[in-house]
Amino acid sequence: MPKQKRKVDSLIDALQERAKELNCLYQVEEILINSDISIDEVFEGIIKAIPTGYQYPDICQAKITFEGNEYQPAGFSETSWAQFADIKMHDNTVGLIGVYYTKEMPTGDKGPFLKEEAKLIQTIADRIGHYILHQHLKDVVENGETAKQDISTKRLGDWKVAVDLLHSTDLDLFRRISRHMMNYLCWNGVQEAEEILQQLGQNTDTSQHTKEDGGNRPSQKRAMDNTSELGFKIFDIASKHIPDDEILECIQRWMLEDKLNFLIRTVINLDSTLPDISDALRRFAHLSKKEMELSDSNEKGVKVALVRRLISDQLDFIKIAKDYIKIHDFYNLFPQLIYPPNSHGLLGGKSAGLFLASRILKIDDDPSPNLRDIKIPKTWHVTSDGLHTFLHHNNLQDVTEQKYKEIGIVRQEYPHVVQLFKNSYFTQEIIQGLSMALDDFGEVPLIVRSSSLLEDRLGSAFSGKYTSLFLANQGSKHERVEALCDAIAEVYASTFGPDPIEYRAERDLIDFHEQMAIMIQEVVGKTVGNYFFPAFAGVVFSNNEFRWSSRIKREDGLIRLVAGLGTRAVDRLSDDYAILIAPGKPDLRVNTTADEAIRYAPHMMDVINLETNTFDTIEINQLLREFGDELPYIDQMVSVVDGDMLRLKSRLNIDFENDELVVNFEGLISKTSFTAQVKEIIDVLQKAMGVPVDIEFASDGKHFYLLQCRPQGHSSDVVAMPIPKDIPENAIVFNANRYVSNGRVPDITNIVYVDPQKYSEIDSAEGMMEIGRAVGKLNKQLPKRQFILLGPGRWGSRGDIKLGVDVTYSDISNTAMLIEIARKRGNYVPDLSFGTHFFQDLVESSIRYLPLYPDDDDIIFNEFFLTHSKNLLPDILPKYAHLSDVLRVIDVPGNTSGKILKVFMNADLDEAVGILTLPTGTSETFTTDQGLVQESDTGDHWRWRSRMSEVIAKQLGVKDYGVVAFYIFGSTKNGTAGAGSDIDILLHFNGSKEQRKDLLNWLEGWSICLDEINYLRTGYRSGALLDVHLVTDEDITNRSSYAVKIGAITDAAKQLPMK
Amino acid sequence: MAEKSFNAFEMAQAQFDQIADLLDLENGTRKFLRTPMREFSFTIPVHMDNGEVEVFQGFRIQHNDSRGPSKGGIRFHPQETIDTVRALSMWMSWKCAVVEIPLGGSKGGVICDPHNLSAREQEQICRGWVRAMVRNVGPAADVPAPDVMTNAQHMLWMLDEYESIQGSKNPGFITGKPVGMGGSLGRTEATGYGVIFTLREALKELGLRPDNTLASVQGFGNVAIYAIQLYTQMGGKVICVSCWDQKEQVSYAYRKADGIDLDELKGITDRFGGIDKTKAASLGYDVLPGDEWIEQDVDVLIPAALENQVNGETIKKASNRVKIIAEGANGPTTPEADEIIKDRGIFVIPDFLANAGGVTCSYFEQVQSNMNYFWEKDEVLGKLDIKMTAAFQAVLEMSKKKKLYMRDAAYVIAINRVAQASKDRGWV
Repeated sequence: MPKQKRKVDSLIDALQERAKELNCLYQVEEILINSDISIDEVFEGIIKAIPTGYQYPDICQAKITFEGNEYQPAGFSETSWAQFADIKMHDNTVGLIGVYYTKEMPTGDKGPFLKEEAKLIQTIADRIGHYILHQHLKDVVENGETAKQDISTKRLGDWKVAVDLLHSTDLDLFRRISRHMMNYLCWNGVQEAEEILQQLGQNTDTSQHTKEDGGNRPSQKRAMDNTSELGFKIFDIASKHIPDDEILECIQRWMLEDKLNFLIRTVINLDSTLPDISDALRRFAHLSKKEMELSDSNEKGVKVALVRRLISDQLDFIKIAKDYIKIHDFYNLFPQLIYPPNSHGLLGGKSAGLFLASRILKIDDDPSPNLRDIKIPKTWHVTSDGLHTFLHHNNLQDVTEQKYKEIGIVRQEYPHVVQLFKNSYFTQEIIQGLSMALDDFGEVPLIVRSSSLLEDRLGSAFSGKYTSLFLANQGSKHERVEALCDAIAEVYASTFGPDPIEYRAERDLIDFHEQMAIMIQEVVGKTVGNYFFPAFAGVVFSNNEFRWSSRIKREDGLIRLVAGLGTRAVDRLSDDYAILIAPGKPDLRVNTTADEAIRYAPHMMDVINLETNTFDTIEINQLLREFGDELPYIDQMVSVVDGDMLRLKSRLNIDFENDELVVNFEGLISKTSFTAQVKEIIDVLQKAMGVPVDIEFASDGKHFYLLQCRPQGHSSDVVAMPIPKDIPENAIVFNANRYVSNGRVPDITNIVYVDPQKYSEIDSAEGMMEIGRAVGKLNKQLPKRQFILLGPGRWGSRGDIKLGVDVTYSDISNTAMLIEIARKRGNYVPDLSFGTHFFQDLVESSIRYLPLYPDDDDIIFNEFFLTHSKNLLPDILPKYAHLSDVLRVIDVPGNTSGKILKVFMNADLDEAVGILTLPTGTSETFTTDQGLVQESDTGDHWRWRSRMSEVIAKQLGVKDYGVVAFYIFGSTKNGTAGAGSDIDILLHFNGSKEQRKDLLNWLEGWSICLDEINYLRTGYRSGALLDVHLVTDEDITNRSSYAVKIGAITDAAKQLPMK
Repeated sequence: MAEKSFNAFEMAQAQFDQIADLLDLENGTRKFLRTPMREFSFTIPVHMDNGEVEVFQGFRIQHNDSRGPSKGGIRFHPQETIDTVRALSMWMSWKCAVVEIPLGGSKGGVICDPHNLSAREQEQICRGWVRAMVRNVGPAADVPAPDVMTNAQHMLWMLDEYESIQGSKNPGFITGKPVGMGGSLGRTEATGYGVIFTLREALKELGLRPDNTLASVQGFGNVAIYAIQLYTQMGGKVICVSCWDQKEQVSYAYRKADGIDLDELKGITDRFGGIDKTKAASLGYDVLPGDEWIEQDVDVLIPAALENQVNGETIKKASNRVKIIAEGANGPTTPEADEIIKDRGIFVIPDFLANAGGVTCSYFEQVQSNMNYFWEKDEVLGKLDIKMTAAFQAVLEMSKKKKLYMRDAAYVIAINRVAQASKDRGWV
């Protein structure tokens, strides 16, 4: 370990020395980019800059000789401690740079100079060579323009001069230009030109030779008449048909186009590296500030080639990108790219999405008024082959085989992989690049995000599978570089983590050669106290899958908004809430009363702690009490509670110590153009990309920063489910075709049904409240997320119990789904609540909501099944048996010979259906519009559990531990176990105290062991996988405790054979 | 079918009939008081944000105004039924009468779901309601107040519309306004203090000194907190409070044998009356299951949370020491429990007397608004004490004289007063 430490130290020392050189190169670059200064000034500047890159700058002098001129500092004298580099243009030496020490210094690599210094001076010489070449080319263009002006205004000279000049200086170019002219003439229908073309056998009339040759034989190539004569003849013809001005213009345009051909050649050539492309782009940019010199088709070709080389090779993406991205955008992108030498890397999905979105929104360009203050945070990219280089550099290639190992082993080895990566080194080039990036960013917090090539591709939602890391980025440059390298290594390591590997295996992507680009992005925000955070952040979806009012349409979109870092908006929160807004209907709030707004307000926020360099979650109120006055946007963020009202107050009027503040972003929603802006952003993006999108954003209180953009559905856990077709009507329990959101609710074993008719006949408020209490009890007894609630009207309605069952969230918290039934009364159908009374709780815990309108046309509502299946209520809650008429608990498998209920919901079709079918894990599939619905993802979990239970049972006998009978129940028995499910076993025990102790010990061993196996398989760890329940003879007689499960009405325990 | 289903109005009528029997009210008076005097039903057309016109159903029911301008809330509810509102207006008449404030009873609302409405649309509904009702409401006729899904903002919109039409300032038109905009100080404390004013009188009646008594409180919201505050000031000791734990979705009771420290607990309580369990434990409170609040060895039980908490089962667990139940919540005691309470001789301060501090304070708001002169908080609370004490004494006297259960006595007093006023006016 200490050895390694030293290595890192020396690396960083070397790096610091290199920083000097980089600095010098920067200065040179600055000078060369400045187009306003003369060549003399350029050289004067450079000779001043060069010494700063040397080891002993104080005694260092530089001299440039160019075209007979000498540039040297005052008091210059040549010495023998010197180093030289030639300045070349077109392989001809045109000048010389010399660097001299005025005193003898200790010997370095070569004389007193370091080998890096030799490289430095050579680099500078090369850059100067390029620069001079560019200047020349520019002069040619400018001279041409002047000539054109001369001709058109003064009528002096002639285009012929130009043609002659061309002929005598560059014959190749002359020929190409004359060919252009011939085509141009033919295009314009000039007969003589067509004749010449015909003579040359290049006739455009292809019908003739199609007949003769049969069409699929190659046409014969005829030698082009290469004589200059033909060229002059063409120009003669041209002079007869086209005005002189036009000829001259054409010649000039074609000459320019020809000069720009290098760009096309470079980007189209698959062998050219990113540095080549970078150079070509730079040349191109120097040559023309605008792109008009490239013909449309050429320009498109270049753009497509650039997109393919840098951004993405997916056709869907290219098709859209070529309409929005300009060549110049790539030129602007390159300075923020970090890549290995000879790189052929790409930017990866996340960067690609963001880059395209920024071009679609014309950020920094010419956006529409609503989009004017949108920004993208400063972003640098490490190209995707950076990962490969990193692996290669550290001899880690065999890690890529990790994905073929068993998932358990991957999981076990992963922490080791992370450490291995963190203790590896980056190549010099990458470190230099990162160092430059850090200089560019300054000491602001950064987020290092993965931008994998697989990520964000259509159909594979890698969201959250790879790591993203926040860096406070504080301290010395040395520390910051180290922290950044560390973070990138960790993100690289996450490519080989068990979750993404498993995810890829499930989607047949395991053989895809994973490449991971890195996006280093400035975190949007401001420093407040020790913390750094944005004013607010969040995510926006084009499609709203959580509508809280029938007036909100799906395309009104959804914003999840939080204070501080957006991490809390991206994830579902178990103990806190995000503010939900439908940007298309911003005035329809989820929470309308002050009480609701306070209860469902965000209470915590994520921040970067600059002092401890950590990512913290803090209480918002505490922060506001201390720093509220310092937040200029505070009046957009909070309302002040005043009795039963929430008031907007200006910052001056808020008493941060005593006022009760609620984060509801009321000011932002009602007093700014925020929601309109967000709506326009997602609309513009959706229109351009042709699919619904989701974006991540943050704001520093002034500007809206776009952080990410991708097609919607990639991210959300709520995917539109294909609706099974051709289901026999008797297998359908219900279907729906209004206000349907996306989702699937699988493996329902119990239905709790409140009969709407019977409920309305209850003649006392007390009687109705009893139903609510019984539902609350059932919520605790029935297996979590394996039952659904179906009932009339508005669940949890306040004020009038007749409208729906009186429950609070705690009474329904374990249901998988909440269904409200609106039956016609006379000629009117009552309004449903859309779960508004606990809407946000439903959202955060992913409880699905569905309204049913059984009396609509084409709706199936299997009332017979619901009212005639056996009602288990008296067995489960004997105390509430008298409610059996109204409240029914249906054991689905028990009434359907082992089937379960599955609900498929598809918002695209606005359709949902609840079907009785065999449990997951059995091989039944449905035909849908989109092919087969595969049902294999969880099948394994219960089978394995069931098998292990059998193994355990087989080893047990009365003699050993006093076990009389062995049962399983719950998810293992029902075939519904998920990755995190435990195994419920029930043992009929009549042994002694000692036996009991031994038995439990023995089972605990199994339990820990099985848990470990499950962890290796799935990543879930609970400490103990067996949930052991012992019942005695007495229990069985009294049917107390878990003994009720034996021969129970619903979810009865299943006996397993023993030794 | 319709006859079979639950109907709040029928229930209110049955309750009335029972008391009317006790009072031996003559038929005409019975008939008159069994039904509201006036019912208004009207439409409110609103231009919605999307340009379409939506028509909402509004209504107002004035049950009885023989004792003064009627008073009652306005609720926004998606499926309001006229019978529910009739029942509520009747209860308002009794409620005002029992504390002897010179007001009648009414109730009203609009069929709508505020979750489906923007703030602007809600404002239009409020203003539309006032335009439709302006000739039949007013400081001297019928005074609206906030109710389900309406708040101070709605009241201010309504007030503004009313004043615009009248061309004058009439802050007494509506109650529930914020302080500084015609609202009254002391409203937050009113209900909780009211409970304790009546409790104090009950203790006196039973010959107990407050400083010798212990109490257990269910709930830790506004009512409970101010009740505990005043009770402690009087020298009593609250040894247990129970409240809902939002995180765990169960309730817990927090006990400290030598008395809870209100400020200490308030410091670890969220806005909804949820006490932080971990912090409470570290402060030395015993953390018990929520329903154990009723099992404590105390003199006074104050249910100040939900309805039906004192029922046939839970009351059996109450300690023999319990002498008084002061009903801070609405309907905390079931009829079944009432029978056991009667048997055990526990003194009950019935909900609509004990928690009448709220409506009394609304009346004070009206009075102050009409004078356009606003009292200091002490004055409000002082006057509240006088009102509550007088009301309690009247009910107590009736209970003693006529050997009635306190709950029945309260109703008898209330209905008697309304009946008498109607007779005095020569209506019946």
